[in-house]
Parts: sequence; structure tokens; C-alpha cells
Amino acid sequence: MRIGIDVGGTHTDAVIMDGNHVVTSTKVLTSADVMEGVANALDTVLSNSGLPTDQIQSVMIGTTQFTNAIVERRQLAKTGVFRLCLPSGRGLPPMVDWPDDIADAVGRHAYTLHGGYLYDGWPVADLDMDEIDRAIADAKSKGLKNFAVSSAFSPMNAAPEELVAKRLRAAIPDAHITCSQSFGRLGLMERENAAILNATLLQFADSVVSAFLSALRLRHLTCPVFISQNDGTLMNADFVRAFPALTFASGPTNSLRGAMLLTGLDDAIVVDIGGTTSDIGVLQAGFPRESNSVIKVGGVRTNFRMPDIQAIGLGGGSLVTNDGNTLGPQSVGHKLTSEGLVFGGSTLTATDIIVASGREEIGDPGAVAHLSETLVETARQKMLTILDRGIDMMKPGAVQMPVILVGGGAVLVTGDLKAAARVHRPEHAGVANAIGAAIAQVGGESEKIVSYQAIAREDAIAELTKEAEARAKDSGAQDDSLRVVDIEETEVPYMGQETMRVRVKVIGDLAFKPAGTSA
Amino acid sequence: MKLHAEDLEDLALGSVFLATGGGGDPYVPLLLTREVLKRTGPVELLQPSDIPDDAFLAAIGNVGAPTVSLELLPSDDEALIALEAFEKQMGRTLDAVISFEIGGGNSLIPIMAAASRGIPVVDGDGMGRALPEAQMMTYAIRNIPSTPALACDYAKNVTLFTTKGTDVYERHIRALAMSSGGMITTVEHGMFGKTLRDALIPGTVSFALKLGTFLRENRGQAPALLAPLQALFADSIYGECHLLHTGKVVDKSTRIVGGFDVGNTVIEAFDQAGAPVEIDIKNEYLMARRGDQILASVPDLIIIVDYETSEPINAERLRYGQRVAVFAVGCPAFYRTEAALDVVSPRNFGFDVDYVPLEALPN
Repeated sequence: MRIGIDVGGTHTDAVIMDGNHVVTSTKVLTSADVMEGVANALDTVLSNSGLPTDQIQSVMIGTTQFTNAIVERRQLAKTGVFRLCLPSGRGLPPMVDWPDDIADAVGRHAYTLHGGYLYDGWPVADLDMDEIDRAIADAKSKGLKNFAVSSAFSPMNAAPEELVAKRLRAAIPDAHITCSQSFGRLGLMERENAAILNATLLQFADSVVSAFLSALRLRHLTCPVFISQNDGTLMNADFVRAFPALTFASGPTNSLRGAMLLTGLDDAIVVDIGGTTSDIGVLQAGFPRESNSVIKVGGVRTNFRMPDIQAIGLGGGSLVTNDGNTLGPQSVGHKLTSEGLVFGGSTLTATDIIVASGREEIGDPGAVAHLSETLVETARQKMLTILDRGIDMMKPGAVQMPVILVGGGAVLVTGDLKAAARVHRPEHAGVANAIGAAIAQVGGESEKIVSYQAIAREDAIAELTKEAEARAKDSGAQDDSLRVVDIEETEVPYMGQETMRVRVKVIGDLAFKPAGTSA
Repeated sequence: MKLHAEDLEDLALGSVFLATGGGGDPYVPLLLTREVLKRTGPVELLQPSDIPDDAFLAAIGNVGAPTVSLELLPSDDEALIALEAFEKQMGRTLDAVISFEIGGGNSLIPIMAAASRGIPVVDGDGMGRALPEAQMMTYAIRNIPSTPALACDYAKNVTLFTTKGTDVYERHIRALAMSSGGMITTVEHGMFGKTLRDALIPGTVSFALKLGTFLRENRGQAPALLAPLQALFADSIYGECHLLHTGKVVDKSTRIVGGFDVGNTVIEAFDQAGAPVEIDIKNEYLMARRGDQILASVPDLIIIVDYETSEPINAERLRYGQRVAVFAVGCPAFYRTEAALDVVSPRNFGFDVDYVPLEALPN
């Protein structure tokens, strides 16, 4: 048995899963003190199931706390940034394009130093030990404890970052350090930003993880605890203390993964319809399709691996014009239950249209009996058109795909969608996120620019696979369950024939400890 | 007229429109140029008619592979050092700099360089759009020697080129870019004002700014923008502006061949009426066809924009399912001359057809 918990901005959900079967689930409001909501949800599912806690083999948690801390500029520690790239890049110092409020919250302590590598392994410059030590002494004199370290092409050669981290640790023994190479992908500014956002959250991560663990310990849940990350795989609790930023997109990812489990579909479009927006994502081979574009978190460009989500302005609370021709993007949002017509309010919303059409019974249907048939039908068709277009934009090709509807607003979709091969409305769709967390696996990936003239393609891929597997095992994967799920080869233009950027991703099952043993 | 740091975002947006799908993402050049202008103050935009006959000028820009330079962040140092080395080599100071191409990131590099050096930038460029090769530049077509040229890399290594012709020069700078981490800044095509005035697509910097401002202020569905865009282009060096098609991208495939992004895209009408429009791509959008009928071709500009916002979409960002509009804009008269068509007609891009101007085609 596993427990899945999803801590969202509004609701905290919990489920107990027996394999792929939902034993029990609950949804409670997220309290100001997040842990109170978690405790409530846990107590509810444990008592509903009547299971002894030693039957629980693991607890998986998805949380938006770290994303929210960045977005709201809370709990951010002052952070020193060490970048090794000189003599290049003098014109674009760290945090140059950050919004002022978050740059101020993190502090503007940047040290740009000599070092780093080119794509072909040639050093940008030799490291200057005196320069490094002077920068460390300055950071120490300012009382900084949190550090992000980046260097040019560190995904291919991380030695400069490791050296600086080591010297920082020697000079400041209680330093919290994040090296940019931990965030893999190429793109120095975006990778460095990811490292800074991570470093600034390290103390907060420590306190969140400790709070989760103590909430579980209080309930005698001594099984292993995992936290789900952006790509739908898990990390163990200690890993989160070091990499809180890897949870930034776990919400939408868990929703997609949960939809997969509830329908058994590995390739599908998932539409999560809420009060204000519908978030459309794509399942490919059971995992979310990742976005190719630069992802901004709290206004900061990053290189995070995040699912490709198209948010369209249609939800249960979307405002409808009197002719029914325009719906959204304005919405009454969470005030739907007081402002919508069927709830006794005075605003015409998408939910009112569906009730008026006789397809759903929510609130007081009498309150919408006066709406003309033309208005209702026009608005209903409009909703389907909006969703159809959004779904169509996300489809990988011209083929029809099954569509899975989850979220409270799923009632809006009545009848068929043109863009869908079939529409699925699974049971337990309301707690898809917690289910997604509960079933997560463990992954690892590795990326390099290689020339297939210098190293044979098979050898290059084998080498990268080995690295990716080592990372997955570090995260808690069981050795014999690992399999390659993705090999991405991108030719690098202008750099001569057969220069490729190659990325290998592996996933595997969690190495479970038998029930009843302690972590 | 002066260019301010606040103008650059609009200028970059206009430059992406004029890049006809190519030119690369101007994000990093925009950021860098804005930082420099914040420090130096505004840059003077020199009108071609105000350039004295004996003024000494040169073209400046970046050459290389954007993918690789994601790690090798540029600086304004490279441009400044290349300019100074060029002046030293030529034994005279530059009175102003000028752009290779207005399309994409290279629209901003000369502005940054001019700001660092404290000299004006010319309101004009050597392409009026984006094109993939150096010999397609107006300066090369007018037989202005590309060398002596000076290149500076990330480590401030400076290289002098004196080559027999632009095609050899193109090969050599590519080779240097590869051995310098993937990106170099070059100063080339030294010339006098008298020569330049005849070898320039004039007014394109101020036009890109005007176009970008228009697109930002009038964000909205593409068909509604046609009339004002036509008015804008009619009052410019370009002239014609046609809305070729609106619809949905139902196919897009490109692959990298010989350092270029080559392929095509198919755009089906929203109501699926009539044959879809197919657009051939080699870094830029080169030819638009409906069935066998050519609607527009290089050197005229073909632009794909988002249907809802009219924001131009680069070829690398174009993908299945996007709802788009396709515009075509007549190229400047320079590119319709015999000398220019010798290097930029559809035949130079491997199509077995001659160039027919946009307005002479049924579209």
C-alpha cells in the first residue's frame, strides 16, 4: 500500500493505493499552516481505510510550497552567485534579467570569475585561485550562507564548479551550495537561474521536509518518504532538501500521471478543467510531454524539465456574455459558489449554461430556467469549440487521440469533442494529482554534445545511459528495473557534420523495502 | 533621431517580423544591448541622406551557431575590440557602423557596438530581411570587398581576414566561429559614405522599430491588421503587403542539412476549403505555394504570424496545430535588380523557377 498526498494552493488531497487500485481518498482545504491540512488529509485516509500504519510501504508527496515561495518571494535566503565564464559574458552578469523584487529578495551578490569550457572541451580560461579566494572572502564577510555556482559548459565538464564548491565549503563550513550542473541542460543563464532559485530555497526545503517527516512519524509511518518532481518521477526526502526546485511543476505532472493510471491510457490528451482555466497536457508513453520553450518561474527564465501545458481561459466560473458568443477568459474563479446564477448569485457563468442545458444538475436549476435555448446552445457549442482548438494545438499530429477529463470543471464537457477520438471521464478524477504522486517512478537523465565522428553513436549513447542510470539509482531506483524511455538527438547547426546534442532518460521502479521495516 | 534602451524591445519584435522565420531568437542580443544603452545613453540613428561622401563606415554583426553560444554568453567587449582592431588595420577611425541584416538578433549588435564606441549607427542594413549567406548582402552584390575584415572572439582573440572573395570569406569565418566556441563578432565591408548610399537598404532600423511598436500596440487578429499594415509598408522601402492565407499548421518538418534548417510546413484553411498552402523553409520562409501555384517567393518576404495576436513566429518555433496567418511583403527594389537576383532568386535556393514579384502573382 502507498499513500499519495498532493499539497495544492487551494486543496490538499490524499489517497491510499493498493497497487493501481484506489482504496480511499479525501480532499481537504489547504490551511495557512500547510502541515495542518496534510495532517487532516492523512488522518482521514488512515481512519477511513482502517489500515494499520505498518501496512503502508511508502508515502509520496507532491507539493506546490516551493513554487509558491518563489512566486510570492517568501522564505528566500540571500544567495551568493559564483559564475565561471570570464573572459566571456562580462556584459550579462548573473540575474541581469530578473524582476527587481526577486533579485532584491535573493540579494544581488554576484561574482563573475575566470573559467569554464567551450563546447569542444577547450577551456574558456584557466581558473584563477586568487580571484576565487578573494570572492569567497568577500561573500564570507557579507555573511552569505547560500550559494549557486555555475560555469560555462558545466554539463560537459563540472570540474570548475566542483572546485569552487569545495573551497566555499572549506571557508564557510555551514554553506548551502547548489552547482548548476545539477540542472543538466545547456543554456548557461537559464541553468544558473535554476541553481540560484534552488539555492535560495535550501533552508526552507529543510524545514518543509522535516515537517513532513515529523507529521508522518507522529502517525507511526516509518516507511520511506518520497517527493515527486517535475518529470513525474520521485526523489527521496533527503534529495529534496538539496533540490527543492525540482518540484516546481510536480502539480500538473501528477495530474497527467494520475489520469494515465485512472484510464490505463499511455498516450492521450489530458484536460484539467478548473474554475478559471483548463490546463491541457499530453501523455506520451505514460509520461507528460515536456515543453521545448523556456519556462519562467516567478518571472525568472529557467531550464527546468517541465510538462508542456497549454492553459486556456475556460473553466466552470468563466463569464458568459448575454448572446452566448463569448466565454472567458474572465472568471468568477473560486467565488463561483456564491456568484453563479445556480448558486443564487447574479453572474452568468459556464456552469450555469450547462445546468440550463439540462445536462447537469448543480445548485438551483430554476435560477437558469429563463435563459433562452439559443443562448444556451450557442454558449455550449462555443465551449466545445474553445476546448477543441486548445486540444488540437497540443496534439502531436493530425491523428485523433483519446481525451481524459479531470478536475472539477469536467462537467462542462457534454457530448463529444471533435478533436478527440474518445472522451474519458474516470472515477476519482478529482484526486488525480494525489494518485499521480502515489504511482510515481524514479528517473535519471544525462546530456552531452558529442561528435559522432569522434565517438561512435552506440558508444556515446551507452555512456550517457550509464550516467543516467547512476543518477536514477542515486534517487532510489531499483537497479534491475531501469529502462531507457527516451533518447533525444539534436543536430547542432553550423558545427560541422554529426555534432549532436544527445540526451538519454531512464526510469525504473522504486527500490521498495518490505512493509514494516523502518526507513 | 536617437535610439533609446526603451525602444529596443519593439525594434526586436519588428526585426523578428522582417526576419521571415530566420534570424534566430533576439533575446540575448536584446538583453545585452539594453544593458549597454542603459550605461551609455541613447545612440544616434544616422539617416542615409545625412552620411557625408567621405565618411568611413563598416558593417558589424555576429556569425556562428546560436545553439552553441547558449553557454558562451556574448559581451559588448567583442564588438568594441573588433571595431578598434578594424580601425587600426585600416588606419582610420569609423564614423558610423551599419548592420548586416535587419532580421533577428543582428539588428541589435550594431546598435550595441555603436553605443560602446560612441558613434552613430546607420538607419539601414544589408538585406532588408534575413538571408542565410554573406554573398547575399547588398554590400557584396555591389562588389564592395568584404575584407580586410576583423573578427573578435569571447577571449578577445582578434583575427584578420584578407580573402579573394566573399564566398571564401564566408567559409573562413564559419571555420573561425567553430574553433572559437561557436560565435564571433566580425567587422567587414569597410566603405565610404558615397559607396554605401548606393549599396544599402535604407531606413530599415527605424522601420523595424515602427513596425514593432505597431504590432505591440495593435496586438490582435491578423486579418484586422492587414489594412494598417498595408499602409505601413506602402510608406516604406518595401511597398506591397498581402495576406496570403489563414489557417492551421497541419504539418511541419525540418532537418539540418549543411548547417541550415531545411524543410517545409503545410497550412490548411480553417474551413478546410481549397488546397492548403505549403511553405518551403531554409532557415527562412522561402516560398509559399497553393498546389502548383506560387503565391510568393524569395527575395520577397514571407511572414507567418500567430492568428490571434499577429506576433511573428520563427521557423524553429512553428509547430503542428498553431493557428496562423501568412503575410507576404514585397522586397526592396534593390533585390529585384538583375545583379541581386543573380544571388537571391529562387534558383539560388534550389527551386526550378524564376522570381516573379509578389504583385504579379495571383495571391
